[in-house]
Amino acid sequence: MSNEALVNNSPVTEKPRTFGEFISALFKNVYVLYAISIISFLLIWDVLSVMQVLGRFLPRPVEVLYQLYDMLLNPLAGKTLMMHLWFSLRRVLIAFAIAVVIGVPIGLAMGFSPYFNAFVKPVFDLFKPMPPIAWISLAILWFGIGEMSKIFIIIIGAVVPCIINSYNGIRLVDPEMYDCIRMLGGNKRQEVIEVTFPAAFPAIFAGIQISLSMAWTTVLAAELVGAREGMGFIIITGMNQSKPAMIISGMVVIALTAWAISMLVTHAERWVCPWKTKLE
Amino acid sequence: MEDKAGIKKPKIECVNISKHFMEGQEKNHVLDTIDLSVRENEFIVILGPGQSGKSTLLKIIAGLYKPSTGNAYLDGKEITHPGPDRGIVFQRYTLFPWKTVMGNVEMGPKLRGVPRKERRRLAQHYIELVGLKGFEKAYPHQLSGGMKQRVGIARAYVNNPKVMLLDEPFGQLDAQTRYFMEEETVRIWETEKRTVIFVTNNIEEAVYLGDRIVVLEGKLPGRMKKIYDVNLPRPRDYTDPAFLDLRHLITEETELTL
Ligand SMILES: Nc1ncnc2c1ncn2[C@@H]1O[C@H](COP(=O)(O)OP(=O)(O)OP(=O)(O)O)[C@@H](O)[C@H]1O
Ligand SMILES: [Mg+2]
Repeated sequence: MSNEALVNNSPVTEKPRTFGEFISALFKNVYVLYAISIISFLLIWDVLSVMQVLGRFLPRPVEVLYQLYDMLLNPLAGKTLMMHLWFSLRRVLIAFAIAVVIGVPIGLAMGFSPYFNAFVKPVFDLFKPMPPIAWISLAILWFGIGEMSKIFIIIIGAVVPCIINSYNGIRLVDPEMYDCIRMLGGNKRQEVIEVTFPAAFPAIFAGIQISLSMAWTTVLAAELVGAREGMGFIIITGMNQSKPAMIISGMVVIALTAWAISMLVTHAERWVCPWKTKLE
Repeated sequence: MEDKAGIKKPKIECVNISKHFMEGQEKNHVLDTIDLSVRENEFIVILGPGQSGKSTLLKIIAGLYKPSTGNAYLDGKEITHPGPDRGIVFQRYTLFPWKTVMGNVEMGPKLRGVPRKERRRLAQHYIELVGLKGFEKAYPHQLSGGMKQRVGIARAYVNNPKVMLLDEPFGQLDAQTRYFMEEETVRIWETEKRTVIFVTNNIEEAVYLGDRIVVLEGKLPGRMKKIYDVNLPRPRDYTDPAFLDLRHLITEETELTL
């Protein structure tokens, strides 16, 4: 966003007069630069692949494209690409929903009550820095190889940002906002409804956003161990069958999904907090 | 003036107010022996340089801080809590960013449980009074500094407070906007008379606005140095010789203490 503004604000928006100016204007157009960036990336990739710099394990971009096409139509382990994607998404959504339902109230309670905070924080701080993947083995011992263990790991990853952001959202409300509402005649309950919640909301929402992308990252890790479906499964299958095109296809779909999720959340944010300035 | 004050009880009275904040073990003395009485519908300006305890004094009158000694009174009753009988406009605007202009201005009546239609009508009146008609649906981040300050003024006025407390409301505005807002302030005040306590560090602004000017000393703890009566007719003219004389007088006398 900000890049675009920067480039478009430069004086090149005037009509070019000479051929040289035309060329320089072209190379300052942000969309032209985007296109150049992507095309050169694919070209370099293709050249590296054809030159076999990484042995035979770097497929050409077209091969990846073909692999994608193939997986869309022909099932892998009984499921097409879209079904695998759906399995991963379903795990993410279930775990994410549970994480929000658990994490946000805990964070809010920590923000509201210094006593509850003092009670919860030491334990929370102990667990917080542990990467969710560290729980994989335990989760499998506890819940078996099935759905439960995966969802458990994703919850572990996704619940942390919910708690932290809800807690900070409440704690960092500008105290003068409270002064203000009290001067206007607000009582304790009205302070919470009219100031605390709306003021903390953007931070809480940001936590939910981070939590969702955490969940998407963690599901892949969870699926790398003993899954029979999902995007992580595609990648691990690609590795086992020495099919790098399959691995990269999986990576592409994962990235696209992550991008789609973040777009969705950004739009949701614009819809639920219209008061936030667009940049930031 | 004298006899008028003699008959009427003061609207706001500060009696022997001092205030310190604890910083660790250290006492940070911010205000010392403030004695001040403000008459009904008087426009009083508290003039002091940066860091002289102006905001602290205002927040004591607002009931947001407790004085360390002494008391502040509103209509003879001790001020112990913040409340809607005093309208405040904060130094940093402090609008609710999640509310539109209308949402901000109608907040006071909403908290009192005034039905929606009625409070919208009330708010609309004050939005128009401060000249923001057409901006009811705008969010604070879409407004300029001067407009935000107007929202703050409307939001405080809508509660029909007995006293308006304004804390350097135009400190962050450019000179042009500032002059304009000063004129507007007088216009609004003359339309809906109120007791006003207006904090500023700008001498010209003080002379333009005040019935009386209370000068605070320039070092902490803030003390009252002198009170000036401004007997100039309104609307005042920044270039009127009498205006300039008073302005120079205050400038000279305050610089002696800095
Ligand atoms: N809530 C507080 N807690 C601790 N110290 C405070 C608090 N409020 C004010 N002070 C102290 O009082 C001093 C004076 O503050 P105050 O805001 O009243 O001055 P001011 O004249 O309004 O300054 P300015 O011109 O910057 O607005 C500050 O430097 C600060 O040390
Ligand atoms: Mg101040």
